Amino acid sequence: MAHDLGFWTLQALNALQLSMLLFLLSIGLTVIFGLMHFVNLAHGSLYALGAYFAASLAAVGGYWMGFFLAPVAVAGVGILLYSGLIKRMRKSGPMAQVLVTFGLIFVMLDLTRIFWGDLALAIEVPALLEGRLAFLGVEYPTYRLFIIALGLMILAALAFVLGRTQIGAMIRAGVDNDAMAACLGINVERLFFVVFCVGCALAGLAGAVAAPLLSVTPDMGLQILIPTLIVIVIGGLGSLKGAVAGSLIYGVVQTFGAVLAPQLASVLIYALLAVVLVIKPVGLFPAKG
Amino acid sequence: MFRHTALRYTVLVLLASAALFQAFTAEYFGLEILTEILILAMLVLALDIVAGFGGMVSLCHGALMGVGAYTYAMLSTKVGIAPSVAMLGAIALTGAASWVIGAICSRSHGIYFIMATLAFGQMAYSYVFEAPAFGGDDGLGGISRLDLSIIGVDLNDSRSFALFCLAILGAVYGASVLILRSGLGRSLSGVMHNEQRMRALGLTVWRVKADVFGLSGMIAGLAGALAAQHILYISPGLLSWTVSGEALVVVILGGLGTLVGPLVGAAAFVMLKHELSAVTTYWHLVVGVILIAVVMSRANGIFGWCEARWGARIDRRLADATGKHQPKEVMTDA
Repeated sequence: MAHDLGFWTLQALNALQLSMLLFLLSIGLTVIFGLMHFVNLAHGSLYALGAYFAASLAAVGGYWMGFFLAPVAVAGVGILLYSGLIKRMRKSGPMAQVLVTFGLIFVMLDLTRIFWGDLALAIEVPALLEGRLAFLGVEYPTYRLFIIALGLMILAALAFVLGRTQIGAMIRAGVDNDAMAACLGINVERLFFVVFCVGCALAGLAGAVAAPLLSVTPDMGLQILIPTLIVIVIGGLGSLKGAVAGSLIYGVVQTFGAVLAPQLASVLIYALLAVVLVIKPVGLFPAKG
Repeated sequence: MFRHTALRYTVLVLLASAALFQAFTAEYFGLEILTEILILAMLVLALDIVAGFGGMVSLCHGALMGVGAYTYAMLSTKVGIAPSVAMLGAIALTGAASWVIGAICSRSHGIYFIMATLAFGQMAYSYVFEAPAFGGDDGLGGISRLDLSIIGVDLNDSRSFALFCLAILGAVYGASVLILRSGLGRSLSGVMHNEQRMRALGLTVWRVKADVFGLSGMIAGLAGALAAQHILYISPGLLSWTVSGEALVVVILGGLGTLVGPLVGAAAFVMLKHELSAVTTYWHLVVGVILIAVVMSRANGIFGWCEARWGARIDRRLADATGKHQPKEVMTDA
């Protein structure tokens, strides 16, 4: 089995699909951290919220309504969080931020339980994306291919915005040196706000996309949080390149590890993280030298 | 450096007498809660030493406690070593493991330190979760308690076990104060306030951090060995990062860098948890809101707030007595 080319293609696609899901989550988190020096542990809860919104909206108006409106709704929650809590916590140390957002995880966990109950919800894959597709010599579920394509599209769009447009230049300047950027007349506060909203929307999108694959449960946010943090710490905080590299490394190690060395798989990724932190304490591609 | 103030002595005496009163008067359920508080108090003392006095905010102390619990359980049930030796083994192994973690993480700061310790904690968690030798996700049972029949104490009795844990907590508190007052503890405070200055003075900074982290890990390992004996059953959930997060919450609710505060926090947290979960299944929501409120208020937890108020009162009295305003006295070392 292990010598079959189809097997490797299949696993590579699985790895890529996991990577793209993590990329959607980690890019928001990492840019928020790079720009605002804010550690948002509640990012995973926003992802869970996205899945719940998508499940509820899909029940009303079909999958695509959930797909398009869930990110908007999550961005709305993000605006509430930003104006209520995060704006005031901006200048605090990392520990205060970790604790406040840890408290937020508790709060949002129980709020989802209150609104949606403890039972797992499920969403149907839309008719358009059902079934399997022959791709590179293997039969692969269309919906998973859709996730890969979506991740690559978002990646391309973000790379274009961050690298080629004026607002991207402003964001990069803000990550690099926010005081200097403010002196040059960039409204850094508003930039923070916009980036935070986009990050929340992407987390919501990731939740909406993941909902048909996984069952929607209150603790799905906690489960995804640790992989997301590993991705951004391996990749280095604040950079698009870091988020991409971290997601790919995580996806490949996790998928191939589970197939080739099942006993070691779960330890492997943490060991890798420890090695990266020992050799390069700030990750592989940090935004600041 | 850590100092005892009149307020700290008062609160310590109050806490000790409340615990003794509870230990002698409570029924079975009350004794279980008391033991839970005492064991959590040891863990948060260990965390306060590194986080409050060394600036090393660790998210692996829950996992360290789990390592202690698993070492005790494995040594006493599978290997068949006497419980007393198994306890020493648990303390030694957890201490050694956390010394290594401290040494590796000593170069990282701030959020990277938090993440690095989180990684090590999760590594232990997933290893224990997957390994069939450790019972996997079924956990391990059949654990026995320490045999103290030589001095006529039967630890299988809840009351004796609670008193035993109280005595150990007293010893742990004393040891923590000694550590913080020793040369090592003073170096640690120096490192927290200005690492470069200490390095320039010729101190091997990573050694100080690793040594203190190792000592703190020994306390966490002891707490774990006692936790295993308390519940007589252990599961990988003990090592999960949320346990470490909760320990950090307790330290913050009590008052970081005060040693006494985390004890207050442990008592408040466990009682709050039991009271709330009797009323509602959504007790996490309440704890979360309280946590956010405490951190946003910028007070250093319950005890830190009391100390600040107490300090302000002394200032006022001094100002009244001398007729001029005194500079505000800083009561905490953190």
